[in-house]
Amino acid sequence: MSELEADKLVDGTLAWRAPPAPLRSRRLATALSNAWHELRKSRTASIGAVMLVLLFGACIGTPWLATHDPIKQNYRERLQPPSEKHLLGTDRLGRDIYSRLLYGGRRLVTIAVVAVALSLVVGVPFGVLTGYFGGLADTIGMRIVDGLLAFPGLLLYLLFVTVAQAWKLEGVMIDFVLVSALALAGMPEKARLARGSVLAEKQKEYVEASRAVGDSSISIALSQILPNIISPLIVTSTVRLGLVILIVAALSFLGLGTPPPTPDWGSDLSAARDYMETHPLIAAFPGLAICYTVLAFNLFGDGLRDILDPRMAER
Amino acid sequence: MLAYTLRRIAQLVPVLLVLSVAVFAFVEALPGSIVDTLVGTEGGDIEEARAILTKEYGLDRPVHERYVLWLGRALQGDFGKSLVTRRPISTELLSRIPATVYLASVGIVLSMMIAIPLGTLAAVRRNSAIDYTAQVTSLAGISIPEFWFAILCVLLFSLYLGWLPSSGYVSPFEDFWGSLQFLILPAAAIGFRQAAFTTRLTRSSMLDELSKEYVDTARSLGHSERKVIFKYTLRNAMIPTITISGLQLANLLGGTVVLESIFAWPGIGRAIFEAILQRDYPLIQAGVLILGFIVVVMNLLVDLTYRLLNPRVKFA
Repeated sequence: MSELEADKLVDGTLAWRAPPAPLRSRRLATALSNAWHELRKSRTASIGAVMLVLLFGACIGTPWLATHDPIKQNYRERLQPPSEKHLLGTDRLGRDIYSRLLYGGRRLVTIAVVAVALSLVVGVPFGVLTGYFGGLADTIGMRIVDGLLAFPGLLLYLLFVTVAQAWKLEGVMIDFVLVSALALAGMPEKARLARGSVLAEKQKEYVEASRAVGDSSISIALSQILPNIISPLIVTSTVRLGLVILIVAALSFLGLGTPPPTPDWGSDLSAARDYMETHPLIAAFPGLAICYTVLAFNLFGDGLRDILDPRMAER
Repeated sequence: MLAYTLRRIAQLVPVLLVLSVAVFAFVEALPGSIVDTLVGTEGGDIEEARAILTKEYGLDRPVHERYVLWLGRALQGDFGKSLVTRRPISTELLSRIPATVYLASVGIVLSMMIAIPLGTLAAVRRNSAIDYTAQVTSLAGISIPEFWFAILCVLLFSLYLGWLPSSGYVSPFEDFWGSLQFLILPAAAIGFRQAAFTTRLTRSSMLDELSKEYVDTARSLGHSERKVIFKYTLRNAMIPTITISGLQLANLLGGTVVLESIFAWPGIGRAIFEAILQRDYPLIQAGVLILGFIVVVMNLLVDLTYRLLNPRVKFA
């Protein structure tokens, strides 16, 4: 039966597929208010959600919120304490710390979100397909995953960064290499999660039913099983976002991220070390910014886990 | 158990192969060839030197042959020579391992000394001030970047108070007390962060145990609460905690790069980091391969210990 025929047969479905525009926006509003209602069940999740909204707001609104050019140096105003002109003071080159934090955060959060999204895009289909087909595909797939997990700590990223440096990559390309490394390192977790759920779901009746109706294997794996593993994926991705922020900051702290003068919390923190004794505030702000961001993701992830997995919340 | 162990060891082989291919591919992905780097530093008859070196490094052969050759040598502990110091890479790296193991294991022991009492107390006195403190502290430990925590510690204890040196290393075999002075800050930075994870785990596995039926039975038999906790539940709750600590230790061997560079700690992580700055590619390659191998083997050991401690896990 072709898709067109199916639409003709079930008229109700067709009408439902293309709702008028105002209805769709109202549905979005309802969905948002429902989500907020669910979130209220966990205090941790609601605090995390508020912190994240502020964070993303700051990232989107950076061009309007920033008061200065983050790269422009001003030697007459070096190492100034917070004032009305410079909300968080200035660094060793007279650059406005507040504006640098905003631009640095925007970049850092973007990298993290893209990296985690990419690890989902690669990892989930990988896990679903290996789990669904089993056999040799499964064995090979899982050995690849194990091999990736054998890289301890930062080593996988260090390898990628080294290659990027050797090719003398610049700007966005460095970020691209870093994002690929982060996605590759995040992939095994998603693949294993997806595979585990698929192995459990595969046995259930609704999958059997789809197969009986004549759906192809891949279509069953992706359309029937995927919706069932969404919630653990959301939770692990949120927690992973916090971790990725820490990793990226650590790499640029080591001097292996985007080179200066690009605003970057990790490298700004590293540069502030030389002035730490006399101007401890300069090192404090990027550190606090990293803490705030990671904490926001962790709180939200923890809270979500409690909401989505009530068995855990009882503890 | 024996059959299971053998099967797991057999499973290691493909994992290590994947690791070695990845590490080999890393050097292949670099632009130019090693010969350019070598010739650049030696001078003399460039063309002749190139030809000799190309032959010496086997670069005139196809990729798969070079991989097999490289792997064969690596298995015998021959990783070639460092491009910078010209000394054998194996001695260069092996001499750096003790410092990392020293730092990582003291850090993990420290984290267990914080996490086990704190996590247990938090579970036993659930929803009390202690529980709340434990949860907030561990959330902070997970969210604070360890390099920032380390910098703050240096600021407070070295620069303001002047109690401890800000960086450096003394071997514990030469001067034990002297080496402790240098060890405290980096080990505390590791301990604080790892304790955050372990505290949460100890708390939740302790809560899990306390809700089981045998605890009610023990209480109804008239055993004191102290005995119930220390003799029965804590022992069971420790199994996941110890397992995680073992995995953390394995992962830390390659994960102390940042702290080693802050505290000028001469460990293997810093050796790899320095090699990256100096473009000493064979050393990076060997370092990652060795650490990866150690991690894979340690993970297996931890897993086997876990099964030994916990007979309920089936050897499937």
